[in-house]
Amino acid sequence: MPYNISDPRRAIDDLVVRQADVFRKKMDIALLTRHRATGIDRQGRKVVGEGPRGSFEISYDALLIATGATPVSPEQPGFDLPGVLTLKRLEDGRRIKSWLASRSVRAAVIVGMGYIGMEMAEALRALDIEVTMVKPRPGLLPWLAPDLAAAVQECLTHNAVAVRTQFQLEGINAQNDRLRVTAQGGETLAADLVLVATGVRPNSDLAAKAGLVLGPSRSIAIDGRTRTSDPAIRAAGDCADAFHVVTGQRAWIPLALRANRAGWAAADDVCGKPVDLQGVVGSAVFKVFDLAVARTGLTAAEAADAGFEPAEVTIHTSSRAHGHPGASTIHVHLVGDKKSGRLLGAQMVGREGVAQRINAAAVALHARMTVEHFGQTDLAYAPPFGPTWDPLLVAANQLIKAL
Amino acid sequence: MRFVVIGGDAAGMSAASRARRSAPEMEITVLEQGEDVSYSA
Repeated sequence: MPYNISDPRRAIDDLVVRQADVFRKKMDIALLTRHRATGIDRQGRKVVGEGPRGSFEISYDALLIATGATPVSPEQPGFDLPGVLTLKRLEDGRRIKSWLASRSVRAAVIVGMGYIGMEMAEALRALDIEVTMVKPRPGLLPWLAPDLAAAVQECLTHNAVAVRTQFQLEGINAQNDRLRVTAQGGETLAADLVLVATGVRPNSDLAAKAGLVLGPSRSIAIDGRTRTSDPAIRAAGDCADAFHVVTGQRAWIPLALRANRAGWAAADDVCGKPVDLQGVVGSAVFKVFDLAVARTGLTAAEAADAGFEPAEVTIHTSSRAHGHPGASTIHVHLVGDKKSGRLLGAQMVGREGVAQRINAAAVALHARMTVEHFGQTDLAYAPPFGPTWDPLLVAANQLIKAL
Repeated sequence: MRFVVIGGDAAGMSAASRARRSAPEMEITVLEQGEDVSYSA
C-alpha cells in the first residue's frame, strides 16, 4: 500500500486482487460484507453477529477464524484526532490517500519504526513531505545488528528523514488546523498528518470468548492442520500462531505468505485432504529508499532466549565481483549455535542482491543445516550478481571460526 | 457440508477459494465486517 499511496494517479482499489463479485458470481461463495461476527456457539455450531439488516445467525459444520490483526495505538490522548491515521486495511490506505489529496500536507510524523513506518517514510518523502519518525525506546531497528542498523540510519539521514528515538510521547492535539505531537518535557513537532505504525495485535477476542486456547501474544493456538483446541474450528492468518522451525516453539509472526498458506491448509483439512502445515522461520524483507533490509531466523538475543548459545558475525562485502562496475556494499550478519553448530539466523542490508539472497539462508534454516554445512553449499556465481564467494558464504566461513 | 469463514482477507479468501476448487458442492459462506476483501499488502 505505501507504494500506491505515494502515487496520486493510482487508485487505491488497484490493490484489490479480486473484487467481491468475482467470489460471489464466478466462485459461488456467499460473501457477506458488512457482517460482523460477535459470538461463536460451539455446542450449537453457530456464529452470531450483526449485519446491515440487524443481527444474524449462521450454523456451520466447519468454521475458520481468519480475523487477522489490528494496529495497536498508543494510549496517550489525541490518537483519535482526524489526521492521525494507521495503515493496515484497504480502508486505511483510502483514508490516507484522501487526507493527502484534500489538503496541503507539508510535514508528517510517523510514530513507530517498523517496516510499515519505514515504507511510509519513503512514500511520504516521494510526495515531498517532511518526515520525522519517533519512538519511545532506543534503537532504530533494535533487532537489527548494529552495523546494519547504522546503514539504515545513514540512508534515512541521506533522504532527509529525521529519526527521533527515546521520544517519550505525551499526546497529540489539534491547533490552528495542524497537529502537534508533544513529548514529555514539552518539545512539540508540528504535522499535518500523523501515521501510527506501532505494530499489530491478533484479533483473537472472538476465539478467546469462545474458550479456545490462545498462544503467544494472545494469538490463536493451532496445530499442523490449523485446528484450534476445538477440532470443528480452524484458525489461519494473522490471528493464529505458528510453529517456529528454529526454536521448536510456538511463535506469532504475522506475515502474508503464511496467511495464504495456512488458508490453503485449512481448506484442505476441511475437504478431508491430508495436511501437514510446516512452521515458519520468520523471513521478512522490506525496502527503505534504495536499501533492502532482510532477515530470517533468530537474532542473537532471541537465540539466547530460546536456550541456544549464540555466536554472531557481521561482514561487509561487495554486491558484485571485484572490479565489476555498479557494485555496492552488502552487509551480512549471521548467528549460529556454539553447542550444535547449527545456523540460527541471518540478516542482510544492501542496495542490491539482498531480497532474494536471504532465501538461501531461509531454506538452510528449514533444513536445520549447520553453519559448516551451509558454508559448503554450491551457490550460483557470475560477476554482475556477486563475488565468487557469495556474501553468505563469506559470512558462514567467518562464523565457523567463531563457533 | 457448510463451511463458514470469519474474515475476508488473505487467509479467509485463500481458504474459501481453495475449498471451492476441491469441493464444487460445498456450501461456503464468508463473513466480512468491512467492505473490501482480498487485497495485496
